[in-house]
Amino acid sequence: MNPVSRQSTPKAASLERPKPAPGGRQWLLTVLIIAFCIYFLLPLYWVLVSITKDNGQLNTTFGLWFATPWHLVQNFQQLVNTDGGIFFRWMLNSFVYSFAVGILATAAAAMAGFAFAMFAFRGRDVLFNFILGTIMVPATALTFPIFLLINNIGLANTIWAVILPQMVNPFGLYLMRIFWQQGFPKDLMEAAYLDGATNWQIFWSLGLPLVRGGLITVFLFSFVGAWNNFFLPLIVLNDTSLFPLTLGLSIWNNTNTGQTPRYTMIILGALLSILPLIISFFALGRYWQGGLTTGATKG
Amino acid sequence: MRERSLTPYLFLAPFMLAFLLFFVTPVVYSIYLSFFVKQRSGAFGIATEVFGGFANYIRAFRDADFLASFANIVAFGIIQIPIMLALATIIALILDEVSGPLGRFFRSAIYIPYTIPSVIAGLLWGFLYSRNLSPLNYALQSSGQEPFNFLSPLPVLLFSIGNIVTWTWTGYNAITLYANLQTVSKELYEAAKVDGATGWNVIRYIKLPLMRPALLLTFVFSIIGTMQIFAEPFVLQGIGFVPVNVTPNTFIYDIASRSANYNYTAALAVIVAGITFIFSIFLLRMVNRSNP
Repeated sequence: MNPVSRQSTPKAASLERPKPAPGGRQWLLTVLIIAFCIYFLLPLYWVLVSITKDNGQLNTTFGLWFATPWHLVQNFQQLVNTDGGIFFRWMLNSFVYSFAVGILATAAAAMAGFAFAMFAFRGRDVLFNFILGTIMVPATALTFPIFLLINNIGLANTIWAVILPQMVNPFGLYLMRIFWQQGFPKDLMEAAYLDGATNWQIFWSLGLPLVRGGLITVFLFSFVGAWNNFFLPLIVLNDTSLFPLTLGLSIWNNTNTGQTPRYTMIILGALLSILPLIISFFALGRYWQGGLTTGATKG
Repeated sequence: MRERSLTPYLFLAPFMLAFLLFFVTPVVYSIYLSFFVKQRSGAFGIATEVFGGFANYIRAFRDADFLASFANIVAFGIIQIPIMLALATIIALILDEVSGPLGRFFRSAIYIPYTIPSVIAGLLWGFLYSRNLSPLNYALQSSGQEPFNFLSPLPVLLFSIGNIVTWTWTGYNAITLYANLQTVSKELYEAAKVDGATGWNVIRYIKLPLMRPALLLTFVFSIIGTMQIFAEPFVLQGIGFVPVNVTPNTFIYDIASRSANYNYTAALAVIVAGITFIFSIFLLRMVNRSNP
């Protein structure tokens, strides 16, 4: 059993637990839940209202209610037409960067996690703790050093400058090691050796299907991390046609002055940029939570 | 079996190669760069890099703007992190109480902000903060009052940034704490009930102490996260004036992009990374010592 499915057991137990909360407490609970829902969801509700307006309506009508006539289609058309439809280029870039980072980071973490979990080799624990310790170094503080290096080896302003540095995911390695330890019994590996399987066959055909949950979790977190990354592309890219969505939208936002404000178009762009994440959240919810709970409870 | 002894290193190779290239090398390289200074021969001479010892570090610790950015982030962390973790604790306790469709809806509602990139979160809140577009300012203006300025003075700006960070990260921390509560054996609750413990006492004497280790861990990660704040103040520049040194990262970015002094930039990055690293290790040691 992998750690994700292990997590679901106590959850199921909590559903059965009867909860006869006393009146006063139930009331407090309801008020708190409503207050938190308003706080966390209101900005998103505001987005849904705002994308139906034009800039005039955005300025003059109440922000939390719709105004007629609707301008959703016009906002979308403006998004398609502005700067030759570069928004959709940015979206494509975000997908390319995130997929590449997801695949590379997951492959590297799965292989290294296999080595750390399944083999005893000299310096294993020191090396693992050293890599894990780098989680404590703020990623943004590394970005300038990475830029200086990338600039030196001639990769600045290329897609590799965005993709390759994000391949290093110490937390992904940590998760994969746990998934290997818990999902792949050492006896099974010994049996496979006796059957004459090579290490690669054991890893690829026998092992990977058993740590599938870990692969999806690490891919998801690497993908989302790359999708959300802003600082690295800001530092290493100049060419607007290479920008990911986060960078493109923020540049639009910070240069959004003068005669033709583009507020509602930018808000629509922001919504489209988070849509893939929200869809993945609902489609892969248990993996989103799996990454957190594995780290939290095994840490 | 000789083949097996080489095997782990082959499986490690891709990760280690990337790790060496994009973690170890940049760190070493920037430490190296930080010890050099640019020197010009004459007023218009070509700048050459000469060894400067700790000159860049001395400059950093005398740089009032850099020190102010540090003071900002410390003040920010002292206020924002406890508020966020208190809210996360309350939410974790609520999640532990509610079940069924309501529980699932609530969990999704508080978690969704975490799925949103901090740039986009900053951009959205930037609109909600702006002079003309904010619903709050709409309400103020329609009742004949002056619109509220969310970007100035500095404490207000820090609160505005803090609200964006709290909005984004509270759900993440709450789910982490809640997951920890879930691992607690239900017999403990039952035993407490048999002993006559009421709801509040269960929270006070059982749940909160049980959450303590996870709370300390989220605290350490919140500090690391706080040191990295950049995107939120950066996008808030779109709606008004934001000082370049509001956080250490915005200051470093400004130095790098304006003066192109990479030696000084490298020294500043080393300082920020080093202080965060040492502080986090120190805190984790304390956490481990208090939870044997």
